[in-house]
Amino acid sequence: MNNPYDVLGVSPNASDDEIKKAYRDLAKKYHPDNYADSPLADLAEQKMKEVNEAYDQINNMRQKGKGTGSTGGAGSAGGYSSNGSSSQFYSVRIYIQRNMIKEAEQVLDSTPEGNRTAEWHFLKGMCAFRKGWNDQATQYFTTACNMDPNNQEYRAAMNRSQGQQSYNYGGYNTGSNGSPTQSTGCSCCDICAAYLCADCLCSCCRSGC
Amino acid sequence: MFGYLRIQKSELLVREYEAYKAVYCGLCKQLGKDYSFFTRLILSYDCTFYAMILMSLERSCKGFYNGRCKCNPLKKCQYARCESDSYSKAAAFSVISAYYKLLDDLSDSGFFKRLAVRIIKPFFKHWHKKAVKRYPELDPPVEEMMRAQRDVEARDDPEIDAAAHPTAAMLAAVFSLEAKDEGQKRVFYEFGYQLGRWIYLIDAADDLEKDKKRGNFNPFNGIADEELQDYETSVLNQSLARAYDAYNLITFIDFKGILDNMMLYGFPSKQNAVIYRNEEENNEQPV
Repeated sequence: MNNPYDVLGVSPNASDDEIKKAYRDLAKKYHPDNYADSPLADLAEQKMKEVNEAYDQINNMRQKGKGTGSTGGAGSAGGYSSNGSSSQFYSVRIYIQRNMIKEAEQVLDSTPEGNRTAEWHFLKGMCAFRKGWNDQATQYFTTACNMDPNNQEYRAAMNRSQGQQSYNYGGYNTGSNGSPTQSTGCSCCDICAAYLCADCLCSCCRSGC
Repeated sequence: MFGYLRIQKSELLVREYEAYKAVYCGLCKQLGKDYSFFTRLILSYDCTFYAMILMSLERSCKGFYNGRCKCNPLKKCQYARCESDSYSKAAAFSVISAYYKLLDDLSDSGFFKRLAVRIIKPFFKHWHKKAVKRYPELDPPVEEMMRAQRDVEARDDPEIDAAAHPTAAMLAAVFSLEAKDEGQKRVFYEFGYQLGRWIYLIDAADDLEKDKKRGNFNPFNGIADEELQDYETSVLNQSLARAYDAYNLITFIDFKGILDNMMLYGFPSKQNAVIYRNEEENNEQPV
């Protein structure tokens, strides 16, 4: 394995705080959530593992008197849970997991019109996403969510895609003079989310009463 | 490629800015050396970014030296010394893409421009041949892009992903050439793909008004005016976000600060400038 200090990008005489900060920054960067649907998920996971190991190693080396905490098992990325074998499109999921997008699409495209369920749309979206066809992916995810609003898996993919669309780089997204629509800091998405939260609270109370 | 891959000067350290300039000048010099004095004119920020990535991957930049600018003998410049063929490769890529751009102009521009293109075409043909001889692997992706782009635009109303695909796939193929193993190849592919897609789409957003006036194809044509800016922003953001995720998986040795600056500040600010038609960019001065 590489020198753990190199992995974290710090000098060997960096302070504990600096190391902690470097570790946190890297852990944020390679966080499984960032790569959830990405074709690079496995590579990010590996990188995350390296970072975790390096951090633990440095901690162990430095653990002379004081006990610094360890990473707290941030590496449990794993593939997101597929719906298991009950899924109608089990083979498609396997293909996608193995990055065999052409094969997955073949199966999906040969599905008759009547069998195109929410899951079908979701998986079509996944294929498009893997190919880098972001716009189409978003459309399929939206359809999947509309057809089956209660499905967490579809909703999560949709949210991640939307998250990327409103991704705010280093808090510096306003250009030179800034745009009126972006500097307001409260998009329609926020309003929706706020409404949903409020709604939850309301229904909570009502059922409680 | 069209000059959207910029730095955000205000966020760079002075030494980083100087290093960036030195690579820019170094690439210019190489274009002069490998081809001709006139090919220096096709120097672009995009190819500087490409050269920078190539140099960064191999740690081939070995210091700087002073010299004079050939185009403006009164100006002193610094050049970044490079020990690998990064400059030549970026220069070859510049020439090859300029050549195909020229061919493209020949088929869809006005009479006078076509005339001008006819005149310079033989020279470019010669340089293109030279570049292909040096780097035969760079030619097929660009050629394929031009062909695929024409096919897509001939279809009626292709979806935005399909329209962006040829450029994206071209850059993906070009960056994949640098990969040393299978995993790296996937990372480079994704990085190139999303970055290429971003370049194509920002160029389309930039040309939208012109294309509307002339009735040319543009992937944003069908979008209603009031939704346009939000839509453009979300599509471009997503490509950049995915490119950045892939970028984080690549190990860059040198110029990390400059590349980070471009990914995090330079590109987004260029994007905003295009979408919100913000003409006074404080980034506009020539390097």
